[in-house]
Amino acid sequence: MALRELASLEKYLGLKKPNKYSTQGDKKVPVLQNNNAPPLVGLVTIACHLVKEAKRSELLGCGAEARAVVQQWLEYRVTKLDGHAKEDIKTILKDLNLYLQDKVYLAGNQFTLADVLMYYGIHSIILDLAVQEKEQYMNVTRWFDHIQHHPGVRHHLPPVAVLRNRLYTSRHH
Amino acid sequence: MTKEEVNGATEEEQHAQSKKALKKQQKEAEKAAKKAEKQAKLAAEQQSADEDDFAKDRYGLPAMVQSQEKLDRALVRVQDLTPEKADQLIWLRARVHTSRAKGKQCFLVLRQQQFNVQALVAVGDRASKQMVKFAANITKESIVDVEAVVRKVEQKIESCSQQDVELHIERIFVISQAEPRLPLQLEDAVRPDGEGEEEGRATVNQDTRLDNRVIDLRTTTSQAIFRLQSGVCQLFRDTLTKKGFVEIQTPKIISAASEGGANVFTVSYFKSSAYLAQSPQLYKQMCICADFDKVFCVGPVFRAEDSNTHRHLTEFVGLDIEMAFNYHYHEVIDSITDTMVQIFKGLRDNFQTEIQTVNKQFPSEPFKFLEPTLRLEYTEALAMLREAGVEMGDEDDLSTPNEKLLGRLVKEKYDTDFYVLDKYPLAVRPFYTMPDPNNPKYSNSYDMFMRGEEILSGAQRVHDAQLLTERALHHQIDLEKIKSYIDSFRYGAPPHGGGGIGLERVCMLYLGLHNVRQTSMFPRDPKRLTP
Repeated sequence: MALRELASLEKYLGLKKPNKYSTQGDKKVPVLQNNNAPPLVGLVTIACHLVKEAKRSELLGCGAEARAVVQQWLEYRVTKLDGHAKEDIKTILKDLNLYLQDKVYLAGNQFTLADVLMYYGIHSIILDLAVQEKEQYMNVTRWFDHIQHHPGVRHHLPPVAVLRNRLYTSRHH
Repeated sequence: MTKEEVNGATEEEQHAQSKKALKKQQKEAEKAAKKAEKQAKLAAEQQSADEDDFAKDRYGLPAMVQSQEKLDRALVRVQDLTPEKADQLIWLRARVHTSRAKGKQCFLVLRQQQFNVQALVAVGDRASKQMVKFAANITKESIVDVEAVVRKVEQKIESCSQQDVELHIERIFVISQAEPRLPLQLEDAVRPDGEGEEEGRATVNQDTRLDNRVIDLRTTTSQAIFRLQSGVCQLFRDTLTKKGFVEIQTPKIISAASEGGANVFTVSYFKSSAYLAQSPQLYKQMCICADFDKVFCVGPVFRAEDSNTHRHLTEFVGLDIEMAFNYHYHEVIDSITDTMVQIFKGLRDNFQTEIQTVNKQFPSEPFKFLEPTLRLEYTEALAMLREAGVEMGDEDDLSTPNEKLLGRLVKEKYDTDFYVLDKYPLAVRPFYTMPDPNNPKYSNSYDMFMRGEEILSGAQRVHDAQLLTERALHHQIDLEKIKSYIDSFRYGAPPHGGGGIGLERVCMLYLGLHNVRQTSMFPRDPKRLTP
């Protein structure tokens, strides 16, 4: 999973030569063998490395504050989102929905690596949502739809249908 | 401690003890005296009550009404108590909804069906103290005959349906006394969900309601629901009769199940067994073959499906239509949808009070419909669902969640709660459904939906005996068992179609309720056979 994600990220970043990855441990943590340096371990570490290699450091955030926010969401992705329990899904979506209420991207107005990795990470959850739930977590859905249509991001993942109109009003049914 | 001291102490103690005892005795004596006095007073009161009650003939428990006499007394209805009746002396029969005594006055709320009025008994030259006491002690839900003067009130009485007048009671007689403990309180049964939660007030759950249905049916909400339901039947009949339909009665005990037979009730019928009809299908069709041209019937329908859902009953009232058409089965669809529209219009125009009453407890958006009714084809519906991200095969039947979602999508796009879904896949319909001439995978069948839930299933039927036999064989139905049905088409049968509606579902969905048991007076489901 993580390896396909890194391959997609490489394509998005426009890196010509695909890297070779291996995994380690039960959790299949990705490892990147570097020719002239010690190997890089972990999804976020490798992803940040790829961003720098592609000379797209703006994806890690412009300014100290943005950089911190990006790192925070990258951390969230691997600690909270990966390996979440089924009963956590609602909490994750609720919190994220509230956070995204006044934001286009996770780091505010700037598209960053956090958006890409959160999108990859949350895809399976969103795919399983019913239409009514997608409407309930409207801000998450809006952000998700925006990212999946961001040029070059989606790659290995199937598109998720998102309706533009509200079907369920505040009343019951 | 010296001995003397000890002695002194005990003496003192004794002294104290005897003092205490004395006091106690005194107190007891006082108490007894008081009691005696009270009793004497009570007895005196009783006596004086018996003797001095000038209003003795103005209240009480009369003998049971056994039709001893024909009183020439006009009873006014509560809903007719308006300011025009002010200062008139009237008689009235109603239930005691609540009573509240306050010193020399007793306020009663008298209820008649969904209407209620405030009444008052006050000590004066018409009523005695004893009469007020009697009025205050009448148990809730008792039925009383009341003679009273109608008086205008200065401030509107918000809690009653008759807000402009109150009754000054001159006589009050209990015709039927209710037991003091009710299994449920009417106020609790009409409380909207969530309201009164902060005050810790109770609501009554559905099973308790249904167990005590007779009392639950007295609530304003139930009264309104079933008045509206009666309206649906009446509008159905009136509309169809105007269109030249004939009402028919069909047997409910039948020899063979119309659709295979898995979900029918079996009853023992002398030495063999019979089934309870799951639809009047066969008989409606036979009437068409017998030249009745356009028929409808209103009657019970039985389903032995073990489904415990919000919208399934094992016995419900079916409103069935069958009609011969000239060239295209859309003539039938148009006829049925127009009937439905007439019903919706009739409810909207004549049952606003009932709708509002139900809405108070169960809020919902007003029911919307288009004229002419929206007709979608199955393939269009599939396209809409797929666009919304639903994965479905071309010939799959609609699942309940998908039905509901489709209802939402249609409402959003066309702003209607009522629509027809046409051209279902042939594979998911019964054997007597006419295949679509243009695409044998589809059929000339349709469902109708209200608020995204199915209320009617219908189709053009096969009126050709040979094709019918083929279709029955394809569905592996024993031809022997449906011989008489197939035979009815051998002697000239006009092309025809129809459909059946569930009365309870129509009421439930029109009012935006959540459970079909709310619109069934005495619901029957796999787990309920009483009351």
